[in-house]
Amino acid sequence: MIINHPLLGPRDSEEFVYLGSTDLINRPTNWEDEASAEDFYQYQYIRENVAGDHKELWYHEQGDQSWLVVTRNTLTHEITNVELAQDVSRAMGRGK
Amino acid sequence: MSDYELLAESPLGGVEIELDGFTITEVTDKSLVMVALPRDKFSDIESSINKSCGLKLPEMQNSTNSKDSSITLWRLQKNQVLAYFSYEGDDAESHLSERLSAPAYYTDQSDTWAMIRVSGNRSRDVLERICPIDLSPEVFSVGNVSRTVMEHIGTVIYRDGDDSYVLLTMRSFGRSMLHAIEVSADNVL
Repeated sequence: MIINHPLLGPRDSEEFVYLGSTDLINRPTNWEDEASAEDFYQYQYIRENVAGDHKELWYHEQGDQSWLVVTRNTLTHEITNVELAQDVSRAMGRGK
Repeated sequence: MSDYELLAESPLGGVEIELDGFTITEVTDKSLVMVALPRDKFSDIESSINKSCGLKLPEMQNSTNSKDSSITLWRLQKNQVLAYFSYEGDDAESHLSERLSAPAYYTDQSDTWAMIRVSGNRSRDVLERICPIDLSPEVFSVGNVSRTVMEHIGTVIYRDGDDSYVLLTMRSFGRSMLHAIEVSADNVL
């Protein structure tokens, strides 16, 4: 698989490490609440098992060490979009 | 006082191999210092290095040279550059920070990398067997620099001439990298 890195151009997937769904960006912020246990349970364990376009996190370990959000079709492995996770996270109003 | 002294050795003992149209040499006259760029000092750093050395911050996967060509900056990550420069002393970090005089964070990495130059008109033929990125002359131009994996070894590749490339691997992988290049040369030439 070739991942078209937004800053570095096409790179072999061998250079990357796969983490999983981009849901992991949305870590609950209400950790002090009694009710947060359920939110963290959802965050940690519950995943959609998508047959189609899946947004997932990839880490460019053997490159510039950036985190990417890759949209990959789980049926065909076709990659339709690659963004920097930093930009995605900021667009969600998280982090710096 | 001991009656012996320790001598510094380069990672590959200054190896030099000449083949038909292909040369492997260890680079021993360069130092490497990482320059971390704090986000709120970007413009300060840009103006300081321009004033002190006539340097610009390179774009990603690119390099820039100082006015006297002695310092080259490589951009492999957004928030840092690597300075590759001619210097053989053991205080590369203070030497560079004085020359750049920019408010960045400096870390000497000279001795942690093995640097191998492969050159000659067959160099691309040998490298294309082990390098996963496109090295076509029009895609990977002189001055381009990139970090990738060759034979499972994390490698920085820098094109420093028409038919000349410098490969950097962690010092402990230097011999393995040299072996990988030699095997590829053996298969191709």
